[in-house]
Amino acid sequence: MSDNLLFFRDTAEKIFADTVDSNLIEAAEKRVPPQAMLDTLSENGIMMMLVPEEKGGIGASLIEANAILEAAGHAAAPGPILETMLAQSLLSQAGLEGTQGTIALGFCAADLDGNISLHDVNWGGGADNILIIANDAGKAKIALTPASDWEITGGENAACEPCDTLQRSALPPLTDAGDFNSIMRNAALLRAGQQIGAINWIFQRTAEYCGERKQFGREIAKFQVVQQMLAELAGHVLACNTLLDAAASTMNDALIAAAISRIADASDAAIAIGHQVHAAIGFSKEYPLNYRTRRLMAWREDFRGVQYWRGFLGGHAARSSRDELWPMLAATGLQTA
Amino acid sequence: MLANLRLDLPDMPPEAEKLRAEVRAFIEEERKAGHLPPPEKIGLGFCRETTKRIAAKGWIGLTWPKAYGGSERTALERYVVTEELLAAAMPVGAHWVADRQSGPVLLKFGTDAQKEKYLPAIASGDSTFCIGMSEPESGSDLASLKSRAEKVDGGWKINGRKIWTTNAHRAHYMIALVRTSTVEGSRHAGISQFIIDLKNPAISVTPIISMAGEHDFNEVPLEDVFVPDDAMIGEEGNGWNQVSAELALERSGPERWLSSFRLLAELVDILGPDARPSSLEELGRLLSHLLALRQLSMSVASMIQQGQNPNVESSIVKDLGTKFEQETVRVIRNIVSSEQLTKNGQAQRLKMLLIHAQQYAPAFTIRGGTNEILRGIIAKGIGLR
Repeated sequence: MSDNLLFFRDTAEKIFADTVDSNLIEAAEKRVPPQAMLDTLSENGIMMMLVPEEKGGIGASLIEANAILEAAGHAAAPGPILETMLAQSLLSQAGLEGTQGTIALGFCAADLDGNISLHDVNWGGGADNILIIANDAGKAKIALTPASDWEITGGENAACEPCDTLQRSALPPLTDAGDFNSIMRNAALLRAGQQIGAINWIFQRTAEYCGERKQFGREIAKFQVVQQMLAELAGHVLACNTLLDAAASTMNDALIAAAISRIADASDAAIAIGHQVHAAIGFSKEYPLNYRTRRLMAWREDFRGVQYWRGFLGGHAARSSRDELWPMLAATGLQTA
Repeated sequence: MLANLRLDLPDMPPEAEKLRAEVRAFIEEERKAGHLPPPEKIGLGFCRETTKRIAAKGWIGLTWPKAYGGSERTALERYVVTEELLAAAMPVGAHWVADRQSGPVLLKFGTDAQKEKYLPAIASGDSTFCIGMSEPESGSDLASLKSRAEKVDGGWKINGRKIWTTNAHRAHYMIALVRTSTVEGSRHAGISQFIIDLKNPAISVTPIISMAGEHDFNEVPLEDVFVPDDAMIGEEGNGWNQVSAELALERSGPERWLSSFRLLAELVDILGPDARPSSLEELGRLLSHLLALRQLSMSVASMIQQGQNPNVESSIVKDLGTKFEQETVRVIRNIVSSEQLTKNGQAQRLKMLLIHAQQYAPAFTIRGGTNEILRGIIAKGIGLR
C-alpha cells in the first residue's frame, strides 16, 4: 500500500472513529443529515479529493477514494459521501463551479419535457444540492441545482436512509460531462468499495464475537460448524478485497463489473453468516451489526444495481466464440508491472 | 491470525505476456495439427506426445535451475503457462503432478544425486509421477496413515496400501508418504517421503473406475517393497512438513477453478449475446467468480515467487475454486435447459460435456483435500482454533 493510500485511509478512519456513533446513525435514519461528520470530511478536503489540485482538490485516484469509502463502509457512516465526492469531480471536469455543501445524485434521460421526476435519489431530501446526471444517448449532461428547487417525496432504502423522489417543472440548462456509462461504472466501483468496508467489519466483528460468546460451556469459536462458517466468509473477504484492488488498478470494465458482482455475493454471505453466528443479539437494533448488513442490502441496488453489471459481463462474454472467451478473460488482469 | 485478508497484486514480470503469446501460438499449432479436438469430456487428459512437445518448448520445470533441465523463470511465468494450457484443455496429465509438486519437493528437500536423477527426466517430459498419500483408512485424516517403512540392510522395506492414486498405472514413480517411526505424543512426527519406482515387480496397480466412467484412480498395495536408502526424500521423520509445503502448490493453481471452463467456453459459443437477460446475468455472475479466483491464484503465485508458504491462502483458493467449479455445472445446466440449447439434437458437444461434468463434479470438492479440511486450515489461519 502506497504512503498516500495509507495516509488517506488513516485520516478517514480517524474521522469516522471520531464522528460516527450509533446516535448519529440512528438520527440519519430519521432523515437528520450527519452534519458534523460531513463537515469534518469537507474540512479535510475529502469531498474534493477527486478534483485536480489546480482546481482546489487533492487530485486523488479512484483507488484512493476507495480507501476512504472502505473506511466509511466499515464505520457504517451514513450520508451522501460517495455522492458528494463524485459530484465534485464531475462538476470540475465539466468546468462548472463546485459548491460547499453536500450533493445528491439524480439520474434521468436528457430528453424530458415538462415536469421531470428523479427516482430513488439517495439523500435527495437532506443534501444541500442535487446534481442532475442526464443520459443523452450515452453522453452525460449535468446540472447542479439547489435542493430547494425540488419538491421532495420521502422514501427510504433498506439502510433506512432517505431514498427519495424529486420533482420540478423542467430540466435546467445541462452541460456536457463525458461518458454516461463511465460515470455509472465509477460510481458503482466506489459503492463496491463501501460495501467491502462493511463486509470487512462484519467478518472481523463476527470472528471476535465467536471468541467472546460461550454456549455449552465453551466459546462458540471452538465448534467446527462455526469455524466452517467463518472460514467460508474469510474466503469471500479475501477474494473481494483482492479483486476490488485489481479492478481499481486496471480500470478494466469487465473486471470492475466482476468486482461489483462478486462483492454482491460476498454481501449475501456476510449478511447470512454474520447474523447466523451472532444469532438473536445481532437481530436487535441496538447491536451494530445491522447498521452494516442493512446498508449492504441497500447498496447493491445503487448505480444500476448488481444484476445490470452481471448482465454486462455475461453479455460481453457471450459475444465470444469458444476459443475467444479465455483470451477475453485473461486480458482483464494487470498486464505487466 | 492472518493480519489482513487482502493479497498484494501480482508482480507480473514483463516477460510473462511474451510467454503467454508463445503458449497461445503453440496451442494454435496443436489445433491446426489436429492434436487438440474440442473436448467432449472435462478433466486433465493424458497424452505422452503432447507432454513431450510441451517439454520441447521448455515449459516443464520452468522455474527450476538450468542445471536440472529448468529455465530459471518465475512462478508467475509458470502460472501463465499453466492457465493457458488448462483453459485450452490441453492434455497435460503426463507431467502435471511432477511439474507442480513432485519436482519442487525434490528441488527443496532432495539430495544432489536425486535432483540429477529425476528432475531432468521430468523436464524432458519422460518421467511421470503420482502422489501416494491417501490410504483406505486414511483420507481426510492423513496423519493416521498406516503404511510403514522398516529399516533393512541397504534400504527400507515398505508395507501398506495406497489408494485413489491418480495415474499410478501410467506413472513411473510414486512419492509415497509412509510412517518410519512412532513418536509418542505427535501424530505428525515419524512420517517420511520415499520415491518408489513403479517398475518394481513387487508392485501391482489395481484400477478403480470412477462414477464418470474413467480409469484415473488406482489402488496400490505395497507388500514387502524394498527401496534403497537413497529413495528417501529429505530427513527421516520430516515428511509431514515436506508435504505441507507441497500442498500449498497443489491447492492454489488454476486447475482448482478451471476444471469446468470448457463448459463455459462451449456455452458462450452457443448462447450468443441475444440470450435471455437472466441467462446473461447468471453467466456474468459465474465469470465474476472466475475472475476473482484468477486474481487470487496470481497473487498466490507471486507469494510463492517471494519464497512465502501461503498455506491458508491456497486453501481458500481451493475451497472457493472447487465450489465455483461445481456451481458452474449447475448454473450452465439450468441455462441450457431454460434456453433449450440442446433440444432436437442441437449442440451435442455441449450436451456430452454437461453430462460428463455433472458426473465428474462431485470429485472437485474432494480431491486434493476435502473442502471441510481446507476450511479447518482456514479457521486456524484466522485464529479460531
